[in-house]
Amino acid sequence: MSSNISAGRLLIALIKKDIRVYSRNMIYLFLMVLGLAFFVAIYWLVPDQVEEDITFAITPPLATLISEGKETLLEHGVPEYMLEEIEEVEAAFKEEEGFLLVEVENEDILKKVIGRELDVYKTDQDQIIIHDPGGDKEIPAGASKIVPDIGMSFPSSFLSDTVLGHEKPTVTVFADAAVPEEIRGAMEALIREMAYQLAGKDLPVEMPDEETIILGQDRIGDQISMRAKMRPLIAFFILMMETFSLASLISNEVLQRTVTALLVTPVRTWHFLMAKTLFGTALAMGQAVIVLILVGAFSATNWLLLLVIVLLGSLLFTAVAMLVGASGKDFIGQLMYSMLFLIPLMIPSFAVLFPGTVATWVNLLPTYPIVRLLHDVTIYGIHWLDSINLMIYAALWTLAIYGAGLFVLKRKVAAL
Amino acid sequence: MTAPSIEVKDLSHWYGNLQAVKEVSFDVYPGEILGFLGPNGAGKSTTIKVLTGQLALQEGRAKILRRDIGREDPVLQSQIGVSFEEKNLYLEMSALENLNFFASLFGIRDAGSAEALQRVGLSDRAKDRVSSFSKGMRQRLMIARAFINKPSVLFLDEPTDGLDPVTANQIRKTIREEADRGAAVLLTTHNMHEADELSDRVAFINEGEIVALDTAERLKLEYGKRSIRVRLRDGDGVREEKLPLDGEQSSARLSELAASPDLMTIHTEEATLEAIFIHLTGRGLVG
Repeated sequence: MSSNISAGRLLIALIKKDIRVYSRNMIYLFLMVLGLAFFVAIYWLVPDQVEEDITFAITPPLATLISEGKETLLEHGVPEYMLEEIEEVEAAFKEEEGFLLVEVENEDILKKVIGRELDVYKTDQDQIIIHDPGGDKEIPAGASKIVPDIGMSFPSSFLSDTVLGHEKPTVTVFADAAVPEEIRGAMEALIREMAYQLAGKDLPVEMPDEETIILGQDRIGDQISMRAKMRPLIAFFILMMETFSLASLISNEVLQRTVTALLVTPVRTWHFLMAKTLFGTALAMGQAVIVLILVGAFSATNWLLLLVIVLLGSLLFTAVAMLVGASGKDFIGQLMYSMLFLIPLMIPSFAVLFPGTVATWVNLLPTYPIVRLLHDVTIYGIHWLDSINLMIYAALWTLAIYGAGLFVLKRKVAAL
Repeated sequence: MTAPSIEVKDLSHWYGNLQAVKEVSFDVYPGEILGFLGPNGAGKSTTIKVLTGQLALQEGRAKILRRDIGREDPVLQSQIGVSFEEKNLYLEMSALENLNFFASLFGIRDAGSAEALQRVGLSDRAKDRVSSFSKGMRQRLMIARAFINKPSVLFLDEPTDGLDPVTANQIRKTIREEADRGAAVLLTTHNMHEADELSDRVAFINEGEIVALDTAERLKLEYGKRSIRVRLRDGDGVREEKLPLDGEQSSARLSELAASPDLMTIHTEEATLEAIFIHLTGRGLVG
């Protein structure tokens, strides 16, 4: 027998034991395999393309709207130069980047198009065709289906009423229930912009206040596909999921009091805590790295930076697992504490999927810098210098939570 | 003279305002089994927890193998073996893996885990997961684990609690073998038969205090009353007469009864440890 067993050998023995216990728990294994398979499958299933245009339909067709407007304006003695401006507006409207215009004859057809009763196709020659799926007419070869998000019905006197200011025109906007609020807002803003350009004066319209979190920002001409957005999120969710398993591993050790059996051997409390840290971090990091490899997130230029970020994230969630594992008195208690900790920590990930939906206080959450770094490195390929502030921020949070986790777990172990 | 392996002097321990252990003092020598006999909550387990470093030493002095006890002393803890009251084994691991793992914590390469399992009668279940073990099997494994590092000092907290008589006897035999090897054994129990049969000396502990400490024989001699029970035929029935063993009057009466044609049996009776415990504390060992 040796009384001088080294700390390294003790740590190895403890970690080997943790691996053995972990690998024999069907729930842990199931969660791990399911998590890996599920997230990688989701990644490859979500679209890789970006819908860059907002497709919208209007009635009457622009040409009709403008010709009728011009006639009325000429009758009212509007100078020619103003009519030229109207033509410029027409041209700009059609050529506006990010908009695809579908012109329909009347409001009845417009409603059917928006309500999906009529289909819209675009030919190779950019011709728009309205097709009745119940009718006999065939779809032109090579035409691709487009789905207008929103429809606008302008009164035929829109131009004259707007320019002359005799009567306030009403534009009816039709939107499918599934159209997001922001698209509707964009359309309303477009109508106001048109009115402003035609009337040449600022309309008494107040735009809603908007606050956009930088995470997942839509850079002009550099829109992010859903698949690309999923890349950092998958790694983040894997790290989060591992928290459940690790917390359970820790709490079992406490609840079954096996830790007291360890502490009457040469194992010290810090050995126990260090072994759990190493095992938990390696487990979380290993899985996150596997997933990031499978979704092609690593590159020759970002691999080291990405590894460091994943390491920080793994440490952070290991610390959370220590807090959760030490807090719950049984499985239900542990589940409750897991939810309590993990739900707020999950919020920054929504900022990636749905930019603009969360407020600035999200920046203060411990997981924000990790999500942001994963996002910026895997999507925009930012480098060390651009990441350093967020990395320090993430490291400080990790240290704080790790310290709290160690403190709580040590107290719990000491109280057994 | 051989130095004691465990030396405890005026040890006290509090849980908040509750004093669980009150200035207890005792020694345990190599090869000796000291039985801590007392009801639940008497302070037996707390004493063991302090001595094994699970609880901090608050007051008094205690040495194990001539080293002052303290929490987290790897040199000391490599030479002790502990069997806990709760069966704190790794359920997902097999019996053999449990023993090999704990042996590795003591730096033992060739642990002799298979032999240890054989000693406690678990050879045929060596590779089975502990989660499939009965309570008695888990207890036997706990004992094997406590012995795995061939400790010089053994702390056994209720080692046979809740076991069937056969398993309990097997475990007592193993404990005796360890003491014969030279280990000092501190054993807590509330089973008077176990204390009587296994312990070289017995300490009665009640409400945190040691009220008596000596060999079972001496305790019986000092506090117990020996007697003789005589059974005689009485018509169609049987009558009993109980005589104190000591005293001239008893001797004369015994001679008289022995000569009686109705005499059936004569038995000597000695005091039990439980009777002595009740005599000393006014309470029983259970509860």
